[in-house]
Amino acid sequence: MERTRTKDTAAEVITRSQAAKAAERTGGVLVKQARHAGRAVLLFLDTCAQLRNTGRVMPQLVRQIEMAGFGSIVVLALIAGLTGMIMAMQTGFELSKMGLQGNLGAIIGATFLREMGPIWCAIIILARVGAAIAAELGTMVVNEEVDALRVMSINPVRYLVLPRILALVISMPLLTAIADFVGLAGGAIVSQAMFDVTIAKFKESAVLLLNGPDFWYGVFKSGVFACIIGTIACDRGLNTSDGAEGVGRATTSTVVMAVVFVLVSDFVLNAFIQAVLRPIFG
Amino acid sequence: MADALTPRHRWGSTELELAAMPASPPEGRETLIRIRDLHRRFGPRHILRGVSLDVYKGETLVILGGSGSGKTTLLRHLMAMLRPEEGRITVRGLGAGGGDLDMAQASEQQIESYRRNLGVVFQGAALLNSLTVLENVGLPLIEVDRLPVDQVRSRVVEALRRVYLPAEEILNLKPAALSGGMRKRVGIARAIIQKPRIILYDEPTTGLDPVTVNGVNELTLDLQQKIGVTSIVITHDIGAAFMIADRIALLYKGRIVACGSKDETRANEHPVLQQMLTGSTTGPLTEGYAK
Repeated sequence: MERTRTKDTAAEVITRSQAAKAAERTGGVLVKQARHAGRAVLLFLDTCAQLRNTGRVMPQLVRQIEMAGFGSIVVLALIAGLTGMIMAMQTGFELSKMGLQGNLGAIIGATFLREMGPIWCAIIILARVGAAIAAELGTMVVNEEVDALRVMSINPVRYLVLPRILALVISMPLLTAIADFVGLAGGAIVSQAMFDVTIAKFKESAVLLLNGPDFWYGVFKSGVFACIIGTIACDRGLNTSDGAEGVGRATTSTVVMAVVFVLVSDFVLNAFIQAVLRPIFG
Repeated sequence: MADALTPRHRWGSTELELAAMPASPPEGRETLIRIRDLHRRFGPRHILRGVSLDVYKGETLVILGGSGSGKTTLLRHLMAMLRPEEGRITVRGLGAGGGDLDMAQASEQQIESYRRNLGVVFQGAALLNSLTVLENVGLPLIEVDRLPVDQVRSRVVEALRRVYLPAEEILNLKPAALSGGMRKRVGIARAIIQKPRIILYDEPTTGLDPVTVNGVNELTLDLQQKIGVTSIVITHDIGAAFMIADRIALLYKGRIVACGSKDETRANEHPVLQQMLTGSTTGPLTEGYAK
């Protein structure tokens, strides 16, 4: 009996100490992430304060737009087009069982304009450009290039961060518009080819459900996603340490954190649009 | 048996780490940078433990030190990337109204003005890979001084010629197209383009072949003689130190433990200095490894 009680007590002690350690670890991670988020917000505010210097970073801005915007059009169009086609195919099979395939335009239109367009664009830009920004800035930190800028009295936020975030804010809404158009076109083609829904009927169905602001809400969300991706990528890149391994860590954490924050902000923005913007603009 | 009576026998560990306090400057010399009792901690690690050092105007001071001695941390203080938490760094004549600049108290504007008088040659040259040689060397003129393109070009060509590079041939090349030695020279050209009063060299000869090392050392001497700048060179290259230095200081465990002219350095019996000079694998610098 005595032995059993001793055992239980030891087990309890171990469990308690493990729980304490787990709580400490979790707390540590939360504090660290909160600190990172705070640092990123400060970086974003600092970047906003540098907007007055936009004219001075024009060459870098053009180069970044070329890389982020033009360089992403083909892959984004391909993915959006295929998504539209697949959605039309999957939804069309189910709707045609009930004779409702005529609503394909409304369903695909609503999905693309409100969600798929901005989200696909964010994910493609994050994977293609966000990760590259973090890796490029991280390598610059490791090679002391950022230190060199500071020593020359060149503000790294103005010279490196401003053109990158601004390029994303300019490019992503345009890319979202392209993704919307190509996705709808892909859906319309499959609807006509497989379910006898003419392009005109597809368009008519889409227009019935959607209205002008739906497109602009998607574009607006895309602008917010651009700020999130650009800020996280620049922050992680500029705070790289520990050489090549650190550059890898910065890139991975950029992708993970940006995906999480894009989805969280998408939820918040949707709630904001429904509660505030729709009553005003429809 | 002589080994049993090595300096380790006579020098206790406290004595080894005892700071060498700066003497008053010799006649005709003026102190430009005064560092007093500088400390720096990163969490539990106490990196600089009371650095005191004077840098005279127009001299080349070489700071020697093994790995982890605090060389880079000291350099980052001199670049004003770190501000003194404890202790002081003052720079004569570079403060507000021509007064002394106190690094701990200086405003951002004063630091910016100090940095305009500062050129830094980084270990890996730290050239921006996306820019051409012209843009790299002319970067401070374009971004800070905002000079017109033709003026930038002529100043860049002049700076590249000063470091013996074929300016016209390499102006439009990216750093990746240059050899290690050429990149280093381009880095030096960028450091001198704003005609600084102080140049900091961070291990300028690391990773270069012996011929290029000599070339960089000669260039350092040449710039010193032609421009008359004050140079602070951080290195662990003994040969380079004796070639270019007016004075040599030894940083050991976060303190300056020896400082003097080349002759004084050779004559100094400090075991760490002797180990660095002889390159011996036995001594205080490698004590941890032996265990």
